Amino acid sequence: MKSFYQNFYKNVFTVSVLALCCIFPQTGQADPGFSFGNASSDNQACLVCHADIDKVKSDKDLLNPGQFNHTTHAKFGCKTCHDTVTADHPKEGKVTRTTTCTNCHSDIAAEYATSKHSLNVPNCSACHNPHKVQKPDEISALTMTATCMNCHNYNKIKSTHAQWLPQTDLHLGAITCVTCHTKAKNYVVSVYVARRNVKTNASNPVIADYSYLSKKIGSQDIQYLVDRNRDDYISIEELKEFNNNSANKDLYLKAILTPTETSHAFQISDKSWNCTFCHASGPSSAQLTKMVLPNKDGTFTGFDVEKGTSITSLNAIPNFYMMGSSRNSLVNTIGGMVLAGGLIMPVGHGFIRFLTRRNRRKE
Amino acid sequence: MESKFVYLQPTPVRIWHWLNAFGIVTLCISGAQIRFPEFVTICGSYRSAILLHNTAGIVVALSFSFWFFYYKWVSGALTSIYVPKMNELSYPLLRQVFFYFYSYFKGASSPFHATPDSKFNPMQKSAYLAIMFVIVPFVSLSGIALLNIGPVRQILLMVGGLQILVIVHFLLACILGAFLMTHVYLATLGSTPLAYFKPMWTGWEKVDHHHGTEHGTEEESGTVA
Repeated sequence: MKSFYQNFYKNVFTVSVLALCCIFPQTGQADPGFSFGNASSDNQACLVCHADIDKVKSDKDLLNPGQFNHTTHAKFGCKTCHDTVTADHPKEGKVTRTTTCTNCHSDIAAEYATSKHSLNVPNCSACHNPHKVQKPDEISALTMTATCMNCHNYNKIKSTHAQWLPQTDLHLGAITCVTCHTKAKNYVVSVYVARRNVKTNASNPVIADYSYLSKKIGSQDIQYLVDRNRDDYISIEELKEFNNNSANKDLYLKAILTPTETSHAFQISDKSWNCTFCHASGPSSAQLTKMVLPNKDGTFTGFDVEKGTSITSLNAIPNFYMMGSSRNSLVNTIGGMVLAGGLIMPVGHGFIRFLTRRNRRKE
Repeated sequence: MESKFVYLQPTPVRIWHWLNAFGIVTLCISGAQIRFPEFVTICGSYRSAILLHNTAGIVVALSFSFWFFYYKWVSGALTSIYVPKMNELSYPLLRQVFFYFYSYFKGASSPFHATPDSKFNPMQKSAYLAIMFVIVPFVSLSGIALLNIGPVRQILLMVGGLQILVIVHFLLACILGAFLMTHVYLATLGSTPLAYFKPMWTGWEKVDHHHGTEHGTEEESGTVA
């Protein structure tokens, strides 16, 4: 059981507040304890109403079964958190809960309590919907940033960062807020398929969703868009093939540097102030790349990508490049040879000049 | 053998030259730090290197525009000074190559003598043609594009993305760096190591007049004792 909890803590991306006052069409008295064994059947009973817009009072009581069932929370069952639901539900009115996020996520709650965010936003549910909670690699980077933008104003953020961050727009478009504002130990270059306006050729920062891509790919699965040999591994050649495929004119690869794990203290890591953390040759932050494709239930699946995609390969991810860092070793060699060529005269000619200096002595 | 002084480098050209020189040296150093920040830290922080590089880049781009404007529309000598004529690319060019790589070591003097209307020997003209009409404009344009990635984003994607642009900028800069080393070295091949540096500072070049010289344009230039 201990390892089970450890696994739970490790995988769950966010703290979840069970904020919805759910109403369960249940005939018997609710069990106050955990119900790990038969959660699935219990959940289905709840979802009879809570997945039907005509049967719930408001949108906030409505669940997406696909998204909810994908969460780790679904495995515990609705009654684990909504433990005070009675047999009179939904007639009993607003249901209070005795279970909170901190019952399971006490370590994260303690960490969050140290952040300034906790002063203004004490509820986990302000950022995290417990019925949609996903692992970091299951949500898009844009969703991460969009969560922050619920409170923060982008223009204000941009102007604040522009005081010290060159190419502010580019930086903010290629990272998430938590890329810097967290003490992440490792990073991944997450590559998404985004949409482009064919007529204007304008890149749109909106990630292409499952329905759009499934229409495009027809009877094939979405993975086939990039992973042509379906080996669950994206090679540099496959990325180039995607870029060069004329059928993909309406799509482009958008890459964003995201943390593999986050902290909830939201402190700015010292390395975030150091440009060379990213802008160095072959930085560790750009070594790992994942191709992230949408699933039907709104989640995302990450596929391993060949190493060096964002560092040494040309045109694998045309939209993503870390200045001064993702340098191509071949180009460096060519550049070095060119510079060495510039030394032929000073060194070679200069040496012979030195040896023949007597010939030029004035009479 | 008598010596005379030729007013070879007008003030606007000298201002441009040294502005360009300091700008390009700054660009090379700061660019090296931007490219290899783990090895080069001469400009301080990475941010300082970027700011310095951007500033120097703008200065050099403006300086280039100033140079082009001056030679094209003020002096009108852009073509005659910088574009080698076909007849210069045969014997005069070979003669200059022969001088640099053979005669010079034997103690002979240069077969070419600069005048205000013909400042560069065929080798110089060929090199400057490539540098001033190809390398510098393209390294400047690629640098300006890197400063304004947002507005030129679609163009960048059409040519293969940001990395392609950076590679073009980097390799052109390397060519410019290689030229710079050769340029500075060749400038020491005068009668004294600083003989060719002084005219670019004062404007006046001391020319040793050889009777029977093959290049006769110097007689047409204004001279002082």
